[in-house]
Amino acid sequence: MSPDNPATKLPDYREQSPIVRERFERFHKRPVVLEVKNLGRVFESSNGPVTALQDINFNIKRREFNCVIGPSGCGKSTLIRILAGLDHPTSGQVLLDGKPVLGPGADRGMVFQGYTLFPWLTVKRNVMFGPMNAGESETEAERNARFWIDMVGLSKFENAYPYQLSGGMKQRTAIARALANQPRILLMDEPFGALDAQTRFQMQSSLLEIWRNVEITILFITHDLEEAVFLSDRILVLDAHPGRVNEMIESPVPRPRSDEQCVHPEFLATKQHIEHLIHPPNSKSDTPLRITRMTDPGDTVF
Amino acid sequence: MSRKSSSRPWIEVGRELSSSRAGILTLVSFALPLAIWSIVSYTPFIWHPDIRLELPASRADSTSVYLTGDHIGKDFFADFQEAIRGENDAIASGEVKISRRNNTKQLRQIASLAIAQKWITAEQERDSESLFYIWRDIATGQRESTRPVLSEENLEIARKNWNLLSAAGQNYSNESIPEAPLYKLVPQGRPANPDYLPEPLAVLKSGINAFTEEVEEGEKSMTERTIHSVKIVFSGFLVSCIIGIPLGMLCGSISFFSRLIEPFVDFFRYMPAPTFSTILVAILLANDAPKIALVVLGTVFQMILIIAKTTRLLDHSLLEAAQTLGATQKQLLFKVIGPGILPNLYNDLRILLGWAWTWLVIAELIGVKSGLTEFIETQGRWRNFDQVYPIIILIGLIGYFTDQFLAWLRRPLFPWLGEPVGPKSRAVIACVTYVPNWFQDAVERRQPMYPRK
Repeated sequence: MSPDNPATKLPDYREQSPIVRERFERFHKRPVVLEVKNLGRVFESSNGPVTALQDINFNIKRREFNCVIGPSGCGKSTLIRILAGLDHPTSGQVLLDGKPVLGPGADRGMVFQGYTLFPWLTVKRNVMFGPMNAGESETEAERNARFWIDMVGLSKFENAYPYQLSGGMKQRTAIARALANQPRILLMDEPFGALDAQTRFQMQSSLLEIWRNVEITILFITHDLEEAVFLSDRILVLDAHPGRVNEMIESPVPRPRSDEQCVHPEFLATKQHIEHLIHPPNSKSDTPLRITRMTDPGDTVF
Repeated sequence: MSRKSSSRPWIEVGRELSSSRAGILTLVSFALPLAIWSIVSYTPFIWHPDIRLELPASRADSTSVYLTGDHIGKDFFADFQEAIRGENDAIASGEVKISRRNNTKQLRQIASLAIAQKWITAEQERDSESLFYIWRDIATGQRESTRPVLSEENLEIARKNWNLLSAAGQNYSNESIPEAPLYKLVPQGRPANPDYLPEPLAVLKSGINAFTEEVEEGEKSMTERTIHSVKIVFSGFLVSCIIGIPLGMLCGSISFFSRLIEPFVDFFRYMPAPTFSTILVAILLANDAPKIALVVLGTVFQMILIIAKTTRLLDHSLLEAAQTLGATQKQLLFKVIGPGILPNLYNDLRILLGWAWTWLVIAELIGVKSGLTEFIETQGRWRNFDQVYPIIILIGLIGYFTDQFLAWLRRPLFPWLGEPVGPKSRAVIACVTYVPNWFQDAVERRQPMYPRK
């Protein structure tokens, strides 16, 4: 990587290596799990109606890992809440396996940024929550819970209460809890946003490993460009005010992913393209700070 | 940074004290009011506006009767003494007409003192012969009163009276009551606080007496009264919980019930519960029912609103998370809201139990008076305040220790809160969890539920 001026040397983000191109050919033949049609959401406010989402159209293929990214105010969270059924659209509709989504349900698992573990339940009981409510027997639910807890690497903590866990462990529990319901799609709303950089990277790797081994489709909201490029098959870039689809990008970064790829040209090219979409270069209105020098003459740091 | 905790200042903004210091201050917090009470009670020059009579007297010009232990103002006491001295002067100058009947009465001046000294029994109060010899013994110094110690003035009067009494002979006979008038003892007393502020020791003694004394046939013992009062409060509280907890939770979680119930409840709570007392008696008749109903009426409306508020404070995202896990409406109520609000609900109930206690006194006064309040009422009317205070303090202690006990219980009940456990709590936990633990062990020993790997 040359930090001076990478733009001149980077390839086009649309250039795909033969392996990647072949993979996407197979990818496009997969059935659609989630379809969003002409989706719109208008909020009523004291200053009149505010359009959060306008005419959103996209679909998610089976076992796709899709990241949604966009500037603040683009309606990412509103979108995922509508997909989960926690909010309702004012126009258009969401189809899961062709059937319209009318409210929250166990077929769409969700992982929140704030963990939202039930503090009165142990890790194991948290994971058992969905299956038990669905009528699974205690022994059955417990056996399954152990399996999912083992998958996220928390076997030693199955009897711990959430207050005893670190942020990363809480989020692992939340992922296990969502997966234990075996949803068609896993919706993740900036799940690693509150974690430190080290933990976040570990969580990203673990998530990819889980996704590879479990029959699950993931829609992942993030504001972190690298995270989006590192995780996704495709990246849905949204515009703000109103929230609209800007582009659905196919990631040219081959799988399996590793941290070395973060400096590969196709990775950087994709990242730079998204960067331009979210913060257009001509719109930079950063006024330089007007700072008076307050140190003694000669007392310089550089 | 390794400053010892003992060298830290006691007073520091925003810093917790060590547990030993916190313990000391807890003790001081109780010791301080007790110390103030003791100082005010036992240091005569601080307040003591009254005189407590130790040796009463009757005035010729007044029909008021004063007895040992009565409180009178200092100024009035001085007047009183002067009046008696005036009467004695009149006797000395021979202005008082001779009356044997009056002398029989004067002979009895010494009776209350003699009874207090246990020289004679209460039945001997009018026994002239016994009193005759008491006068002799005091005058000759064979008996010395210790409480009160007779003043020199009164000893002199006793000697004068003995001279008059012994005129007909050293032994008692029909002629022993002289014709010449006997002198009056000058009232004695010691400075005291008003009767509404009895001394700590007197209160303690009355308190012990109240629980140890034999009661008359048909009267309730203090233990029975206490149990009765506690029963009223807890029954009322229990009924309130049965009504208030479900309604409060429904109002807090479902808008429909909130709009349907809360406005009226909000209005109703401003009508003071005691104003319904006569109505409650009319509906529920005498006995305990209207009393319990009053506690319910005073508690349940607050309970609904407080629990509704607590329910609303539950992290909304937990409900959303549960919904994305497929929870039904019923499961949201019982599997999320219920356990989720439980620790806060528990604290609310502690506060509301205290609330229920405040209705006790009014509840026990309506219809047929009962329980501890009846005792307080009766003794208060007789101005026996030393009897009243122990009962007031008792009610406070029951309430306080119930609450402390429930506070300790919070940690073992809600281990998932991760609150630190102190030594006191640990003891309570050990006691409280012993039985269920033993039970669980016994069950698992017989039939292991899950084979442990």
